[in-house]
Amino acid sequence: MTETELGSLETEMNRGFLQILVLALLEKDRYGYSMIKHIEGLGYKIEENTLYPLLRRLEKNGWISGRWTLGEDRPRKFYGITAEGRAMKAGLLAVWKNQNRILGEIEKENEHDQ
Amino acid sequence: MINKLDAYLEDIGHYLAVGPAREEILSEIRSHILEKAEDERPRSGEAALEKVIAGFGPPRRVAERYLEGREIIAPAYQRHLFRYTSILFGFHFIFTLIGVIFDRSFVLFPFLFVPRMGLIEALMYLPTAFLTDLGFVALILYFVTQSKKDIKLPWPKFALEAEEIRPPRKPGALAATLAGLTFMLALTSAAICFYLRHGTVFIAGLAGSGEIKPLLTAEAGRSLSLIVIALLAAGAVSLFLKLFTRSRWVDVGSDAVSLILFGLILRRPFDGLFAVPISGRALSGIKISLAISLLFIVLMTAIDLLKNLVMIGRTAPALKPPERRTPA
Repeated sequence: MTETELGSLETEMNRGFLQILVLALLEKDRYGYSMIKHIEGLGYKIEENTLYPLLRRLEKNGWISGRWTLGEDRPRKFYGITAEGRAMKAGLLAVWKNQNRILGEIEKENEHDQ
Repeated sequence: MINKLDAYLEDIGHYLAVGPAREEILSEIRSHILEKAEDERPRSGEAALEKVIAGFGPPRRVAERYLEGREIIAPAYQRHLFRYTSILFGFHFIFTLIGVIFDRSFVLFPFLFVPRMGLIEALMYLPTAFLTDLGFVALILYFVTQSKKDIKLPWPKFALEAEEIRPPRKPGALAATLAGLTFMLALTSAAICFYLRHGTVFIAGLAGSGEIKPLLTAEAGRSLSLIVIALLAAGAVSLFLKLFTRSRWVDVGSDAVSLILFGLILRRPFDGLFAVPISGRALSGIKISLAISLLFIVLMTAIDLLKNLVMIGRTAPALKPPERRTPA
């Protein structure tokens, strides 16, 4: 498997993961750049040109809400999760945990067989 | 320094849809880039800004991320663009030809308008008609896409499925094509030689002195002979091309040329065509038989043309391959 192929598959896997990640992060109000820094601090990286369109889509779906603040030295758009988004996050987390469980069990079976 | 950022944002804005959302998107990107540039150490000022802008990505790519899922024509309907355009244009072509032959116009608003025109005007009219058909179909598919409903667009299945994947050429097919080409070349050459020698390919027999007795009047014999030679030559060229390619465009070209030539034959006035005396009753019978035969050939050729255009439309690649998505 080449690095390009791996990168391409990772991008596909990330689609769902990033949605859960952003919804989880926005339990506390944050703006785009602060989210990127926070995620980087956790040892993960999200491209800015991926994050902002994603925020826009989530906002359009009503799962997060955004508001501009004009404090400090420049305007920033802060986002926070909505009740609808919270329900969606719970559903997505359940799916994700179930997928992890299935994968974990299969890995255990494989190790046992070897 | 800010000029570079402004230019970058202007480029992104160029690719985004117009509206209040655009200004908000650009404001958010501006805020992000300025804040990140300030955090860039040890770089500062213009160098930091340039680095952050480069890291954000090319303007078109950035804009496309915002436009994902907002296709003008959904991937599922993109192949219909070629399918429906080929059908519509096929009808347009046939009606244009009939209009030229019978010197009349057709209106079927808003699908079809074929004005009265001559052959040259028709040749200029058809490319415009094609673009109109393409635009009309694209507009319909745009509305279907924007409706966000799962509309299953109809598609006629008149014995075409079996031909979707063309079977490999049979071993004897090439030899048959070659034999056909040889025969057509011989026939075309003979017709050309005969025409050059006698000024016509239509003869009623030989006169007493061995001179040929022309069937048609001099002018009609000349022009109709040239059309027949052109038909034979078109057949030969088509067979020659089929030795190298199985493209349906060869059949489309051959059908189109044949239809134009048959159109020229049908446009000729029938009265005063024959140089030999024929009784009124026999002349009337010949006239009807010829007209029916020619119209039947024209109809078959037109159907074949339409079928080939449809098949080309069916096998045309989609504008953009559908994106692979993992289930949410």
